[in-house]
Amino acid sequence: MPQVRIIAKNFMDMVAALPAMKLDKLYENAFICEAILRSLPPLAKKYVLQMLCIEVPVTAKSMEEWVLPDGVSKHRVAIDRLIQLRIFTETVDRKRETTYTLNPIFQTNLKKLLLYGVVLPREPMPSNVTVRLPSSEDLEAFALEQWECFLLQLINSSQIERPSNISSSMMKIFQRGLLSQRDKEAPRLTESGFQFLLMDTNAQLWYIIREYISNSEERGVDSADLISFLLELSFHVTGEAYNINTLTEVQKNTIKDLADLGLVKLQQGRKDSWFIPSRLATNLSVSLTDSSSRKQGFVVVETNFRLYAYSTSKLHCEILRLFSRVEYQLPNLIVGAITKESLYSAFENGITADQIISFLQQNAHPRVAERVPSVPENVTDQIRLWETDLNRVEMTPAYHYDGFPSRDLFEGASDFARGYNALLWEDPEDSKKMSLVVKAENHVHMREYFSRQRQ
Amino acid sequence: MASAPSKLYADDVSLLMVLLDTNPFFWSSSSLPFSMFLSHVLTFLNSILLLNQLNQVVVIATGYNSCSYIYDSSTSTNQGSDNGRMPARCVNLLQKLEEFVIKDEQLIKEGLREGIASSLLSGSLSMALCYIQRVFRSGPLHPQPRILCLQGSSDGPEQYVAIMNAIFSAQRSMVPIDSCYMGSSNSAFLQQASYITGGVYLKPQQPNGLFQYLSTVFATDLHSRAFLQLPKSLGVDFRASCFCHKKTIDMGYICSVCLSIFCKHHKKCSTCGSVFGQAQSDVNSTSNKKRKTPET
Repeated sequence: MPQVRIIAKNFMDMVAALPAMKLDKLYENAFICEAILRSLPPLAKKYVLQMLCIEVPVTAKSMEEWVLPDGVSKHRVAIDRLIQLRIFTETVDRKRETTYTLNPIFQTNLKKLLLYGVVLPREPMPSNVTVRLPSSEDLEAFALEQWECFLLQLINSSQIERPSNISSSMMKIFQRGLLSQRDKEAPRLTESGFQFLLMDTNAQLWYIIREYISNSEERGVDSADLISFLLELSFHVTGEAYNINTLTEVQKNTIKDLADLGLVKLQQGRKDSWFIPSRLATNLSVSLTDSSSRKQGFVVVETNFRLYAYSTSKLHCEILRLFSRVEYQLPNLIVGAITKESLYSAFENGITADQIISFLQQNAHPRVAERVPSVPENVTDQIRLWETDLNRVEMTPAYHYDGFPSRDLFEGASDFARGYNALLWEDPEDSKKMSLVVKAENHVHMREYFSRQRQ
Repeated sequence: MASAPSKLYADDVSLLMVLLDTNPFFWSSSSLPFSMFLSHVLTFLNSILLLNQLNQVVVIATGYNSCSYIYDSSTSTNQGSDNGRMPARCVNLLQKLEEFVIKDEQLIKEGLREGIASSLLSGSLSMALCYIQRVFRSGPLHPQPRILCLQGSSDGPEQYVAIMNAIFSAQRSMVPIDSCYMGSSNSAFLQQASYITGGVYLKPQQPNGLFQYLSTVFATDLHSRAFLQLPKSLGVDFRASCFCHKKTIDMGYICSVCLSIFCKHHKKCSTCGSVFGQAQSDVNSTSNKKRKTPET
């Protein structure tokens, strides 16, 4: 089964892809050092800590002695990652001995972090200036609402009642890859689009932010600056107000976009205006690592293929509509049915049965989530069966050969193809017509074979 | 299930319980001053919290007469985004530590204990295990707990039973006890604790470089330990203390019912009350298979 995965958590690849100059500049910010350290694999983290106070190069050989024979592959992965991110510098000296040193800027910054801590470039504003700060629940609700509104707009622009301020060109960029637009048809969710909807909020957020960053150069913003600002933002305290005037002009523009995504809330006071980071913003650096938080589920699937979703969210309804027939919509409940027709249309859109099942399982209502399995077996089996119904035909690119001058040549050719395990079909022996079908990838071999025979 | 729910905790998230020895009798005679020791430890704690935003550190002070929680990273004020407030974190810890030491000192004056100056390790071990149990019961998702004993003072044989009980309950709940022993000779209790629970016992050769020892050996999360060469214990002192006089003994008498250890022959077990046989030969004839007579 071909699977196109959205790689949502490859923050490090992105950082590693930055040119060396920019990377070194990034490490001048202690917050980035911290965020990057946290996103490393466990073994790599340990090596960095171990090397922190070592000023001299450490030979690769002595480093290999740190690990057990079982861990050699993990060791290699860790070292490669560290070199890729330019945290370790590899040097080979005259005696052909490989040594590693810790990036001095990174090292100094980490030491500073450990000993003194670092101070944010801006302090929270005193509470007598910021009078009506939202409570943490309000802020959470605001962030969620904003994010859902954004997602809904992303997948279905027509449904939206209160469009956010995100420019349509920006929206187009986010939609790229998630939606496929055919001529004169409503845009459809692609396979990766569906996968996107299945991801948890942190992963979704990271995907969007990644698009935002990779697009930054077009808007004339330096991507390294943007990364460092976003990471810095994630170390601000949730619910505290920070003066907007402490930001640079570029950052001010960025923060407006982030407010539309629900990462920060902007408020205007009598004299100053300030931004309040929400949980989404402070989770930014968390979402870089594999750990992610889990949302509470809401879907109950019964053995009779009916589906009850306790949700008020329009987004959830849209997602369910992708693979089920929604029958009623009550204020807090969506009732639907999984039917053959609804699933067929989902499969047509490139959504796989496994994705649907894992969506149902991951979002199972707490009441049924305890049960094993959380989705009735007959339903999951039937979903898979319906999918395999569609996959009866397997396509293999192939070449068809016929018009052989002699039976010998034909049989020789078919034996030759069989030798490559490339023979897909040949005429039965009693038939007069001599033709065979061979995998396209072996066409070159066949041609060589025929030209050899002709000589 | 094939599609496991997204993991809240990665493999390397750890809960580190640090048992800090504050015994004034030891630190007044130690080559490494207590202030230096503290600065090494504080830096180490900072680095643990730096490694992963979900890591949690709890510090328990082991005093001469008492022990107490002095720091918990999950309840400290700037939790969630422990940003650039490292000084605040340290100040918090040091203040609590000072209060604890003063209180501990007052207790000494009240009940003047004579003899060996050992710390109340059994107490702090039990507190750490209680905390870990609470974490275990909080739900299926919790960080991987481990205990790190930073001990300086010598073993108190009178705590033998309590410490062994703590060690075995740690073993049962699969909590490794790491120990870093700062004293002059090896600590038999800690050697046994680390050996039984699968932790690491280390006696730093150069106490001045304590941070390097701590970060190299004890910062390793349980997941990575499977791949790394860590110090192995060479020769663990398995000697037990007797229950009657609290002396460390090589050979002794064991109650066949409750396995209590005595240095001398008693008529009756002081722990479970079972009456022992009179002479060696009688015991052997009645149930030779079951009993292990210590003097053979």
